[in-house]
Amino acid sequence: MIELLLQFSQTTGIYQFMHSTWGWPVIESLHFIGLCLLFGTVGVFDLRMLGMGKAIPLIELHKLVPIGVAGYLLNVVTGTMFLSSAPDQYLYNPAVQSKFLFMLLAGINMLLFYATTAAATRATPAHASAPTRARFIAAVSLACWCAVIICGRLITYYRPPYHWCTWC
Amino acid sequence: MGFVVGINIAISLRLTGFAASIPLAPLRKFYPLHWWCVGLIVLSGIGLLLAYPAKALTNPVFYVKLLALTMALLISRYFQNFLAHPDTTAAHNRLIVKLAFLTFLLWIITITAGRFLAYTNSVLLASRFF
Repeated sequence: MIELLLQFSQTTGIYQFMHSTWGWPVIESLHFIGLCLLFGTVGVFDLRMLGMGKAIPLIELHKLVPIGVAGYLLNVVTGTMFLSSAPDQYLYNPAVQSKFLFMLLAGINMLLFYATTAAATRATPAHASAPTRARFIAAVSLACWCAVIICGRLITYYRPPYHWCTWC
Repeated sequence: MGFVVGINIAISLRLTGFAASIPLAPLRKFYPLHWWCVGLIVLSGIGLLLAYPAKALTNPVFYVKLLALTMALLISRYFQNFLAHPDTTAAHNRLIVKLAFLTFLLWIITITAGRFLAYTNSVLLASRFF
């Protein structure tokens, strides 16, 4: 797996760019900008589902979600650049593994939202509360993305081999 | 930081005309959470500054970040007042759109300068000066 990722980054030029003088901080900045786009759109939609800014119809706020998807895609690209440029530092890092777990939970939570309650939620008029299931999903979503940020910040402190990870 | 920048992006997007059907006035309900998170940023920022004062204070990038952050927050306050008492004259609307675009730029500078701080410091500990 490590060899495969390294081969990918070296043949595409990602490795050379990331290990140039400013490669890493530039991509880190883009990664955080992507996260803010996600938080500013999906996060605000979640907050509305939880009851903040009730005068805004949910269907209108949902129009911001494509911007959040763009932010997420930016993070997938930049995240892949990190992972493939130093795979040994990421794959065996408990903070990265926890981050992936919370991303997976957020993804399942989103699928659950669109499969079960999205239509009813979008139909919620101004000044009305979102369905109970939608509020629960919004709380899980916000908690998961906060956990993703926290785990992301912890990555640098649990780099192998200087960590206590018992399962890596 | 994610909440602060995120809420600002959402409101600025609306002010630039994106998703224009979102009513403006209720967006100010997100500002209390925004200012609580600003408080958290200030507290954690002071903590980090106290831990490594020489590292930040000797780095020009730190002042770029501080300036961009301060300007972005002043514009946030201006937007909050605007949403509470909207002045919809054409000239003022043009100013609001320009400020909303400026906000995007200021947050990008704040984030980028913040990340570059870790890579551009020339001094780590104040003990170097004693």
